[in-house]
Amino acid sequence: MRTGHLKTSPGQLVALSDSPAVWAWVGALAVGLILLPYLVGNYMLTLVVSAMAAVIGAVALNMLTGQTGLISLGQSGFLAVGAYANAILLSDYGLPVWLTLPAAGLTATGISLIVGVPSLRLKGLYLAITTLAFSFIISHIILYSEGLTHGPNGIFVKGARLFGYDVQRGWPLYYLALALTAGTILAALNLTRTRIGRAWIAIRDHDIAARAMGIDLVRYKLLAFAVSSFFVGIAGALMSLQLRFVNVDVFGLILSIEALAMIILGGMGSVAGAVLGAIFLSFLPEVLRIGFSLVTDPNSTFYTNYVYEIRGIAYGLVIVVFLRFKPDGLVGMWRDAKKYWSNWPLAY
Amino acid sequence: MKTIASAVLGMLVAGPALAADPGVTDTTIKIGDVNIMTGPAAFVGRGFSVGSKVAAEEVNAAGGVNGRKIVVITEDDGYVPARSFQALTKLLEVDQIFALNGTSGTANVLAMMPLITEHKLPTVVSQAPAPVVYTPVRPTVFTFGATYENAFYAQLKYIHEKMAKPDAVYGLVRQDDDFGKDIEAGFDRAVKDFNLKAPVRIRFKKGTTNFSAEVAQMKQAGVTVLANGGIFAGAANILSEARKLDMPLIPAEVWSEGIPASAALLAPAGYDYLVGDYVSLNGPANEKFRELAKKYVSEDELKNISRYTYASYIGMKALIEAMRQCGKDLTRACTVEKLRGLKGLDTGGLSAPVDFTNDKQLSGTAVGVYQYDIKSATFKPLTGFVQY
Repeated sequence: MRTGHLKTSPGQLVALSDSPAVWAWVGALAVGLILLPYLVGNYMLTLVVSAMAAVIGAVALNMLTGQTGLISLGQSGFLAVGAYANAILLSDYGLPVWLTLPAAGLTATGISLIVGVPSLRLKGLYLAITTLAFSFIISHIILYSEGLTHGPNGIFVKGARLFGYDVQRGWPLYYLALALTAGTILAALNLTRTRIGRAWIAIRDHDIAARAMGIDLVRYKLLAFAVSSFFVGIAGALMSLQLRFVNVDVFGLILSIEALAMIILGGMGSVAGAVLGAIFLSFLPEVLRIGFSLVTDPNSTFYTNYVYEIRGIAYGLVIVVFLRFKPDGLVGMWRDAKKYWSNWPLAY
Repeated sequence: MKTIASAVLGMLVAGPALAADPGVTDTTIKIGDVNIMTGPAAFVGRGFSVGSKVAAEEVNAAGGVNGRKIVVITEDDGYVPARSFQALTKLLEVDQIFALNGTSGTANVLAMMPLITEHKLPTVVSQAPAPVVYTPVRPTVFTFGATYENAFYAQLKYIHEKMAKPDAVYGLVRQDDDFGKDIEAGFDRAVKDFNLKAPVRIRFKKGTTNFSAEVAQMKQAGVTVLANGGIFAGAANILSEARKLDMPLIPAEVWSEGIPASAALLAPAGYDYLVGDYVSLNGPANEKFRELAKKYVSEDELKNISRYTYASYIGMKALIEAMRQCGKDLTRACTVEKLRGLKGLDTGGLSAPVDFTNDKQLSGTAVGVYQYDIKSATFKPLTGFVQY
């Protein structure tokens, strides 16, 4: 097993990976994901598509919070913007989905610039509160702009077809979600290795030092908001395609909290961490459900009265325990595991 | 050869006809329930699940539906619409339910609606009977319950005719969503029909907990009859603010305040508030139900009994009756057809009889008005079930 990384050319330095083993595993994963609809049922596909929307959202938040250091609690607002833009353009204006998906991302980008500008002078908790206020404003606008958003009644999303396939259910939706997720991860990985990504990381680590080094803070912070919101908008559009219904209640504050939890649990600042965190938190309720149904009778009084709450507590407890004992997140665990096997049998 | 060919042809023709719909075996029928089992509103789901369970156990004890036992499968959605969608997907794909009785809140049932329509799933909505649920009418969806509009109209009519002084001032405070909009429709109708003096209508954001500004505005306008569109803690906070300002109020409340947990929250404000509801809150029918429930559920579950229990019990009874009428060849299509023809189903006084024979497939629209008596901690019926 390889134990070091000797780079002998600039090309090797910017390559996504120079390890044939990594590419082989990525290839195997890709084959597995392509074959997944043939291997699992509709319910599992539904969960996977939901997890993919979460992955896109978490990777996007990671660009803003993990890489640029701008804490945002406005994810639910940007998700709502993307979902509503997609729903309105599809259902009310009859535009094709290949146009509504990027339009959803661009709408969220446009809105993010409005939030981004006043946020430029803010950091930390102040920025978090500003972005939180933004998501409240968005839900107000949705509720009161009945002519456009149908107000509290919400919108049924229909008519999304791509290459003749209905991409709102089954395997066509899955493959669309897979393409969007793969595209988002690839874009995030590539951005990290460009001048933009390095500027974001410099701003996160020390913004004054970054400015002294010639990084335009206004430009790069706004860019972080814009790029992140674009992908969150896409995640919102994907959610609207899957649910086939959007309503302001779908985009509660809990989504913003969960998105933050995903990137913290996965490992802040890492794309792989955001992906792992999103997958972990998306499947944790299902794992707990299966676990509890194995040890208790779902028809019992105990189950009806207590198990649902115990599951909720267990969900929170797993996160707390995880962060206490593995503060570097899932990606930290992965690094530890790699190190252990690299040095095996001399690992300590 | 001819015989073999006819046999094969016969099998091909007979195949689809004999194939039962999902969720039905020779011995069982699976009914799904998506509900709020966790979070601040968990007591709604817990109450609801008791009603389904009692109805199922009652019919099972009597031999089942044409010999098939009812199995209720509950999934929690935590009142989050995206999770309602996932929960119903699980019920349809993994558990293979035949029909649906529990449907959580309004946004939640709407999030499930595309799946319900796609699977032609017989569904009784008795928990969130909002107009958006039955407008437009979905062929397999049957709604049991009155609108918030009618519930508030009924209360304001009663207050105007029997309780309020002629110079009473009416005020409305409501959430800025579909639910609040429906309440305002009832308020507007009452104001128009009875020529009421109503200078204030206030909207607030869902989740608001501090109502001092809203109630101060009410006080300023001299409001003496309040249509309170807050729910649970929100409703209690509004009344508590009114008490702080020493306002002499007759409050009209949402039916969610007709459950013991809510009443305990509202009681400290000291108002004998009114509630309009499509199920009975107190009376011989409720006593009879409690006795029945004791046979089938535990002591812990008995504590969860609330108006939501009666609503789900009635919803399940309607489903059971429709399935019973289908006989042995139970299909979703037949159940829907029988539900569509369901008329005069007696609920033992827990509500007006169930009747889905109308364009909206809507029943239980008759509303009774109740008043909470703080001293005895019980609801006193002021009217019977009346159509408004």
